[in-house]
Amino acid sequence: MPRIKIDHTKCTGCRHCEAACSLNHVANTVNPRRSRIRVMRDGNRYYPVIAGPFVDAACTSKQYIVIGDQTYDMCAFCRASCPEKPYFIEAETGIPLKCDFCGIPPSPSCVRWCNTGALELVED
Amino acid sequence: MNGWIGRCLRVNLTEGKHQIEKLDTDALEKYLGGRGLGVKVFTDEVDPNIDPLSPENKLIFCSGPLVGTGAITGASCNVITKSSLSGAGFDMVIIEGQSESPVILSIIDDKVKLVPGLEYWGRSTAETEELFKKNLGDQWMARETFLVSIGPAGEKLLPLANLVNDRFLSVGGAGIGAVMGAKNLKAIAVKGQHSLQVADGSRFVQVINTLINKLNSAPLTSQSMPQWGTTFLVGLCYQKGILPRNNFRSTSQPLKNVGTEALNSAFALRGRGCFACPIACIKKADVKYSAFEGKGMVPTYLAIGTLGFNCGISDLSAIGVMSVLCGEMGLDPVATGGNFATVMELVEKKAVTPEELKIDISFGNADSMIEAIRLISTKKGYAKRLGQGGMAISESFNMPEIFMGVKGFSLSPFDPRAIQGMGLHFATCNYGPHHLYSYTFIDELLNVHENLDPLETQGKAALVKRYQDTSAVVDSLGLCNWPLMGLKFNNYVPMVNSCLGTNYKADDLLSIGERIWNIERIFNMKAGFNMSHDTLPERFFKEPIPDGPAEGQISRVKEMLPEYYQLRGWSEQGEPLQEKLQALGLEE
Repeated sequence: MPRIKIDHTKCTGCRHCEAACSLNHVANTVNPRRSRIRVMRDGNRYYPVIAGPFVDAACTSKQYIVIGDQTYDMCAFCRASCPEKPYFIEAETGIPLKCDFCGIPPSPSCVRWCNTGALELVED
Repeated sequence: MNGWIGRCLRVNLTEGKHQIEKLDTDALEKYLGGRGLGVKVFTDEVDPNIDPLSPENKLIFCSGPLVGTGAITGASCNVITKSSLSGAGFDMVIIEGQSESPVILSIIDDKVKLVPGLEYWGRSTAETEELFKKNLGDQWMARETFLVSIGPAGEKLLPLANLVNDRFLSVGGAGIGAVMGAKNLKAIAVKGQHSLQVADGSRFVQVINTLINKLNSAPLTSQSMPQWGTTFLVGLCYQKGILPRNNFRSTSQPLKNVGTEALNSAFALRGRGCFACPIACIKKADVKYSAFEGKGMVPTYLAIGTLGFNCGISDLSAIGVMSVLCGEMGLDPVATGGNFATVMELVEKKAVTPEELKIDISFGNADSMIEAIRLISTKKGYAKRLGQGGMAISESFNMPEIFMGVKGFSLSPFDPRAIQGMGLHFATCNYGPHHLYSYTFIDELLNVHENLDPLETQGKAALVKRYQDTSAVVDSLGLCNWPLMGLKFNNYVPMVNSCLGTNYKADDLLSIGERIWNIERIFNMKAGFNMSHDTLPERFFKEPIPDGPAEGQISRVKEMLPEYYQLRGWSEQGEPLQEKLQALGLEE
């Protein structure tokens, strides 16, 4: 099954993927809020996060990851469309958003516009 | 409306009030937005002879219509003021008056307010950003909020001060920081949730796909720039004898440790792209040098040339530290470098002794320069007179010929004797000698579209005019000029039309650029500039380059100037003629 592989070390934080996604899903409109991919930032680093399938809250408590001397808030990297954060939710209707690989056959617009290779379509 | 939002926010700091105005559609089509529209509004509303630091001066932030739409490199915002952002739901923010106490203008989700800024006053740009985001309370809101702020240098009204956005991207350098400081405005915070409309989305997506492919097939935009940023120019300029050393008095000293290879070994580079930029020329890294450690932007060609080589310093780590310090303190690297190069030459010529200055400033002394940068930005004690700007310092010692600048601004690190077209641009530019207002080096040095010899004067007047107009258009659209290293200007046109739903041709856009250039010129002339200011420092006419590949060259700007005026449709005294103004729709 094809999936989008994310290599955060190549991400430059330009957020062109967000614009691409929005343009592809909402006619003639650019708004990162309506995009199914968001680029999270932590200091000098950028992490693209793609909206996953909607589930009821699976987390029972807030999670943190510690790598080296840095502590990361798990919520920032979570793919769920969750009421805790304003991402991956259609603002007007409240409908959760989910990546659909831009239809069948998969040709995700975010991958096409990502010029650094941070996003890549791979076959498992 | 497509691309444009059509709204303008006017904030009066004296009264602490704001209002939202509609923008005139005619003006949008005639001036596009960004630099063009900002200049138009500014010249209409502001008297050219005001004191730049008075409440009457205005500060205009203006984004272009393509900003935020996903148009490649559509991320720039222009700031217009008399010298000394996007998606927020406004095309333009006009700041007037003067606040009694420090404030931060916060434009978050359409809520405009002035936040008391006393606790931020005196802090560096990075600290301001961190504290402001912490005070917002909500981490999701903080993640989407961006700040443009002044550092301590701007608060102290230093003529070298600029604005710093997102911790490292500097804006301007024309003393804009001091204008904002005089208004007691510490920062502007922006967060938006507006949707932007594109006229023909599917066509727009196609056009951008082709443009990305084009950029990827050009060597400069697919390899050099993404790998090293503008630093790759260092080696090239050095080979042609363009990279100045020791205040423009030499070009040939050994290029030790300053090049792309040295850059790779000095820093772990990490690319940072502005919004929607496939090139990502900005490089970030951790900077370390003796007692200093910090995160920030790896020095660009500008910083290496002005803060480093032209001050006789070729240690990349030291230059990195200076560049990061400039960002934190809100200093402009070009103006700061030019300032110190002037002081260093004064010391060398024995006009002033290091004992009098109480700091050992001399060519090649990186440690004392780092200390001096800290001192001037806080304007403490004996360092006061060091931060007045190169022109003021050289005049105070009765040696104005030592200042290497035009119209009060320091030269960008291109020796105008070795690259004649750039020299002509430096002499005529409305903003002072900055290479980013006319990218002639794309053809003169890099030979991307045309194969021109930098030492020739033939055809350079036309080249300069074309690039000046081009950059005025590109700035007004809210795009970046660097893609011109891989794209022709014509390639931009379908992107503009599919985004805005217009029918511009390349020539239409260029004549908009010419219109903008002319109103800027007229404003400058009303403020007292004339033909006598369209020149370079005497050194470039009298002293040939003593060494290096361009040995023996002098600047031939005076030969090219009449042709340039003629091409612009100006009189022999450099005044725009009535017919030209009529043709551009500017008659009064």
